[in-house]
Amino acid sequence: MNSPGTSLYLENLGVTFTSKRSGKVDALKGISLKMEQGDTFALVGESGSGKTTLLRVVLGLLRPGGGKVFLLEKDLEKCTREELTQLRRQCGYIPQDPYGCLPPTLSVIQSVLEPCLIVGGRKSLPMAKDKAGKLLREAGLDDPSLWDSRVRSALSGGQRQRVSIARALVLDPLLLLADEPTSMQDASTRGEIIEILKRHVKRGMSLIFVTHDLFLARTAAERILVLYRGCPCEEGPSDEIVKDPLHPYTRALLAASPRLGQKIISVSRGSQENGLETEGCPFRSRCPETGEQCASLPPLKALGSRKVACWKVR
Amino acid sequence: MIRIHDLNVTYRSNSRQVHAVRNANLTIEKGRITALVGESGSGKSTLLMAVTKLLPPGVSLKGSILFENRDLLSMTEGEIGSYRWKKIALILQGSMNSLTPVISIGSQIEEVLSFHLSLNGSLLKKRTHELLSEAGLDPSFSMRFPHELSGGQKQRAAIAMALACDPPFLLADEPTTALDVITQSEIIGMLERVVRARNMGMLMVTHDIALASSLGDEIVVMKDGRIVERGDPSSILHFPEHHHTRELISALRKIEGGTYHE
Amino acid sequence: MGADPETEVAPPFSKPSWMGREVAPTLTILLDNDTLQKRISWNYEKPRHFKVQGRIQFSGTPREASLIWETPEKRYILEDLSGYYDIIIDLDARDITFKLHMNIPPFENALDTLFPSKGEYGLIVSSDVAVQSMALQLEIEGDKYGLLGTDQRGRDVFSLFLLGIRVSLIIGISATLIASFIGLSVGLMSGYLGGLTYALIMRGVDVLLTIPILPILMALAAVWGKGLWQLVLILSLFSWMGTARTVRAMTLSLRESCYIEGLRGLGAAPAYILYRHLLPETLPLLLANIALGVPGAILAEASISFLGLSDPRVISWGRMLHEAHSFGAFSNGAWWLLIPPGFGIALLCLIFLDIGKYLEELVDPRLKGEQPE
Repeated sequence: MNSPGTSLYLENLGVTFTSKRSGKVDALKGISLKMEQGDTFALVGESGSGKTTLLRVVLGLLRPGGGKVFLLEKDLEKCTREELTQLRRQCGYIPQDPYGCLPPTLSVIQSVLEPCLIVGGRKSLPMAKDKAGKLLREAGLDDPSLWDSRVRSALSGGQRQRVSIARALVLDPLLLLADEPTSMQDASTRGEIIEILKRHVKRGMSLIFVTHDLFLARTAAERILVLYRGCPCEEGPSDEIVKDPLHPYTRALLAASPRLGQKIISVSRGSQENGLETEGCPFRSRCPETGEQCASLPPLKALGSRKVACWKVR
Repeated sequence: MIRIHDLNVTYRSNSRQVHAVRNANLTIEKGRITALVGESGSGKSTLLMAVTKLLPPGVSLKGSILFENRDLLSMTEGEIGSYRWKKIALILQGSMNSLTPVISIGSQIEEVLSFHLSLNGSLLKKRTHELLSEAGLDPSFSMRFPHELSGGQKQRAAIAMALACDPPFLLADEPTTALDVITQSEIIGMLERVVRARNMGMLMVTHDIALASSLGDEIVVMKDGRIVERGDPSSILHFPEHHHTRELISALRKIEGGTYHE
Repeated sequence: MGADPETEVAPPFSKPSWMGREVAPTLTILLDNDTLQKRISWNYEKPRHFKVQGRIQFSGTPREASLIWETPEKRYILEDLSGYYDIIIDLDARDITFKLHMNIPPFENALDTLFPSKGEYGLIVSSDVAVQSMALQLEIEGDKYGLLGTDQRGRDVFSLFLLGIRVSLIIGISATLIASFIGLSVGLMSGYLGGLTYALIMRGVDVLLTIPILPILMALAAVWGKGLWQLVLILSLFSWMGTARTVRAMTLSLRESCYIEGLRGLGAAPAYILYRHLLPETLPLLLANIALGVPGAILAEASISFLGLSDPRVISWGRMLHEAHSFGAFSNGAWWLLIPPGFGIALLCLIFLDIGKYLEELVDPRLKGEQPE
């Protein structure tokens, strides 16, 4: 693959939404990251953390309010529509909702082949058919009789998710954005999905893996960025973060994650607020170690191989 | 104590007979939390819904569910109606989205109290505030509407409603699956605290065996409609006997204990 | 239905034959080369009219030949055919010459004599020479005819009724199909492509929807002239708007679906997205709408025809109702002119409503009440 050096470069990315009810809301604030080709990155955060917004910005579906976005070494702000389409054809996207992301009128095999049809035209279909079959088998849908059935009627949620994975990989993307690709899978099969993605990573694909599960993130990616309400909390090698989390949110997340044989611990204070504090650290209303400095937003400071945004961490 | 005896649940789907639950035997005791674990299609939710006969029409039930010397399965809809909520309460995954959107949550709890317990007047408000506090919500929440609450707060409100009639038993079907991990830990913590304080018996259905091991006094594993293994958390986790249980546990251990470079 | 329904087959406002046992029916008796006589049983009151017409050719000139009408009481010679090789017969019981010939006083009704009582009657051609070719027709006109009687022009109402089905179906289905096609196209394009032109069209649609259709249709019918296809055109032009709005709403929401967004991002042509995805998704809903739109078109056509604004040459149920109303069906008590077409319209509409309901259930399984998963 003759690929660009840097898959993704984000610098101080910010996205603000204005709504009548809540006024201005920062969906993303101060996000920076750099991915080389072949890197794997996990975005860990819960709902409202801005993970999906981030993916939409990367795909060019959303204009950021501030900061820079360089996708496959091209500045998105300066891209024409054709250039953007070309970039998108080199990215794969597995959406979070497996029910809305597959066309209901097509069969399984047609769904996987559709991106080839659009990019390469009808003539590319015969060759693409073999690749599509291989991907479906790899994704665990090896019953060919299932391939001709309509997506809408014959497949379970877990199966649909596998089809959308095959669909995202069929164009051999340089960068894959996977938004909770194992949400519909049973615990025993989650590992399989991650194995499939890793195989493609070995062939040179970059991967952004979005999840709320720290352990899953560690299995899927080399580096983790933990987000809370749009702000970066902690970034670093996944092994280190899970073994020894520094940011209070990451620590609360780890303690609350169900683990075999360990009682889940709730260290955060239950928040009575539904409000969105616009200034200062977004976690401070639930943080067990909150202090006065938390009224202003802590910067992301480097600490060895890691970066942490918390006043309390030295 | 609720004793489920040889329960079989079958229904027709796409002109096929589906055996959702096969010969299930289970006991739910007061003061104990039983966690029912299984993957999708294992029949765990069907089993839970069968206890209060809340399955759709066209489903056939065989066996018996004994509670207070009566077989719940043989009761008519009217008879079992008096058991629901007062003796056996339900929290479902969608409970937080089933709150009436146009009435404040305080009024909804009051509705339950006045309908089932015929409370009224100042006692109504007092009891509502007590329930909300027990569920971890400030009493000022009683004036709020469901859309003003976060997911976790809504589920707390639903739990407050479930506890309104002081039922001795609680059935919970994936009560925290749709919530964030941290909120989940808070809700589970609150549920455990409340259930223990009231000495209730609880049956919780979940797909997450780790969550089950954290909360349950007993773990029951289901696969394809059958109960394949049961025991206390440490025996199940360290000495699983059935191969399905072993599969589940090893898959989880791999993800929990592994690193990226496996 | 080979015969032209426009022909007069019986006296106007004849009752249906199953009504009134004693009422005289309208009959035709034919004699030809092989049938020289025919007998009938007449158990009714006397008919209104008696006419014999035709032509007889003998193989030679007969010395003695006659056309005989046999009643239960007497035999009457209607015409003396002796000495004629080739003779044309044209007898009418109202003619004074006929009455004189039959010795009936000129101002008396000849039919009293011809049909004195109930019994067997016969029309006979007798001659001493063989008949070479004969085509003779005796028309007895009574007060009842056919399954549904006759209208004010003497046309068989049953044939008209059957013809009406054809017209109603043609108008109902074609108008709805054309309207749906227009609505689908406008809805899809304005929903997907948007833009100023389509916004303007939709505002225009909103205005059109507020105008009551019937007066407009009446005015246009007066201006554009009458005719089956003009009517279809007018009806289509005014009923596509509802479909357009529904389709547009659906398209707008489908457009935001995840996979459509993905396809647009990949650079799929709008035509591909419209044809391959949006059309198949909106079409099923449209089928139900089509079935439900047909009754509307049928009723619109019936209304216009009833008001007399349709083509008089086109026989439709609405037209039948109009003529019944205008030409005195009420005063003649001819209910068979009103109930069949009215009933037909209602029944046809109900059938299409049923089809529409069935299609709706087919498309939206929730309405059927599906089994649990």
